[in-house]
Amino acid sequence: MTSAISVRNLTKDFRIGIRGLKLRAIDNLSLEIPRGQVYGLLGPNGCGKSTTLKIILGLVSATAGEISILGNPSATASARERTGFLPEAPYFHKFLSGRELVRYCAQLSGVSAEKVGQAVEEALALAAMTEAANRPIGTYSKGMLQRIGFAQAIVHDPELVILDEPTAGVDPVGSAAIGRMIHAMRDKGKTVVLCSHLLGQVEQVCDRVAIMDRGKLVLEGKVEDVLARRDRHVMTIEALTPAARDAAETALAAHGAKVTSVTHPRRSLEDLFRELVTGSHDA
Amino acid sequence: MKASLQRTYLISRVTFLEAVRQRFFAFLIVLGAAMVLSSLSFRFLDFGHGELKFIADFGFGGMFLFGSVLGVVMTAQLFFSEMDNRTALTLLAKPLSRTEFLLGKFFGAWAVLAVFLFTLSLLLGSVMWAREQTLLMQAEQRGLPPVNGLFSGGGIMTYALLQWLRMGVVIAIVLTISSIARTFLFAVIVGALAVVAGQLQWIAQDVLLKPTESLTYKAFLWTSSRLLPNLQQFNIGDALVLEPASVPADAIPWVVASGVFYMAAYLVLAAFIFRRREI
Repeated sequence: MTSAISVRNLTKDFRIGIRGLKLRAIDNLSLEIPRGQVYGLLGPNGCGKSTTLKIILGLVSATAGEISILGNPSATASARERTGFLPEAPYFHKFLSGRELVRYCAQLSGVSAEKVGQAVEEALALAAMTEAANRPIGTYSKGMLQRIGFAQAIVHDPELVILDEPTAGVDPVGSAAIGRMIHAMRDKGKTVVLCSHLLGQVEQVCDRVAIMDRGKLVLEGKVEDVLARRDRHVMTIEALTPAARDAAETALAAHGAKVTSVTHPRRSLEDLFRELVTGSHDA
Repeated sequence: MKASLQRTYLISRVTFLEAVRQRFFAFLIVLGAAMVLSSLSFRFLDFGHGELKFIADFGFGGMFLFGSVLGVVMTAQLFFSEMDNRTALTLLAKPLSRTEFLLGKFFGAWAVLAVFLFTLSLLLGSVMWAREQTLLMQAEQRGLPPVNGLFSGGGIMTYALLQWLRMGVVIAIVLTISSIARTFLFAVIVGALAVVAGQLQWIAQDVLLKPTESLTYKAFLWTSSRLLPNLQQFNIGDALVLEPASVPADAIPWVVASGVFYMAAYLVLAAFIFRRREI
């Protein structure tokens, strides 16, 4: 099965000023995002996460490299029909009600006239916005804006959902609600790609993460693999040689302790992130 | 094709609803209506022309002036509000092509101008009809021979349609400029200059008719006089309303063909530029 998103050797230069100066926002980035997983794209501000997402969605052109979405070249209508997107700090027409917005987006996404009503109600229910759906968007709180943004992103039942900072500015209750929505999408077999600064939440909801810094990929892998500290060990004493075990048990028993397991200790995703990224910025 | 039309319609519908809710639209339509109505009070300043001609000119002036302001400012605002507020990100991430998005903006803005122009035209027609009735009554009281209608109501509507077409050209030009511009202000200033240049474009065409030695100069004049449409050619309101018989048979088809050509050409150019724009 093809990847949900395949990025190969992606480079993006932005021209700055009129002297032909260039700023390299993304530098030879390659990613394979598997289907049916929640994938976290992390990095400090300005590291190229949002630009990567925009290139994936065809909103910004790449200087070099290849991208495919669900087996299709990116930026094709067919790829976008199967993709949902929630931009960072979404803004919608204030005069529309939540229900009108979701219906509008469903129709733009090609949901048929017979199915649009049901699709809208299902998306509103999943985003817990049914009760407030008839209110104008101008009266919504930040958390409600994110949730209605989530509803418009999933209303056409996409295979791939891309969320750019879905919890930015949202209180912990709202963040937890968005986390549940992401889990619900994964349970339905969808691929979710998200950028977030809430590393604790990313650790909880993501299956895989990629960390970017200054346009480059610095780490990629399964969450449990990248968080495991392989330079240290927690030992399960039963797995050791008998002699060592005896010695250890004797030593520990003298202190009234009993050894039951050896496992890899974990550090938090936040610690890992700081270690990988902050140091290079201090330099 | 049907799906594409549906998406374009959806964008234009939301664009229209957004525009007519703005205070700017309400402000200009009230200002335009006030100008049409005030022509009755200022008709003594007719400089020797007929009263109805003065009222018609005053009304047409208001429609053109405020219609142009609306066409330039509102179109740029509708475009840049989508860019600056990043609603364009949400929309263009859907299976909506940039050409459909741009056409939706165009038709939405053009529909707003239709409401604006036809409302003022109806008001102008009503004012002229009321004044005509008074003038006819006065003529009858003075024992003057009866005359038929002093103005053509159909002529006002034809004029409104031509103005609508002119505004369509203006909107297409402003969308082309907006698709290049980085800021709203730049688009408004250049758009306004383009309208003024279009109004004065006949001067370049006039110079072109004069014999000249230099082929380069002639080529420059020919090109520059055709890059922008001659917006002055839409000003046949007086003749249409007060002397419809004096309008040559081929005048209106020619103006319509020219307007449609420039509108289509600028929209194609805008779509081409916007396709490459980074959102």
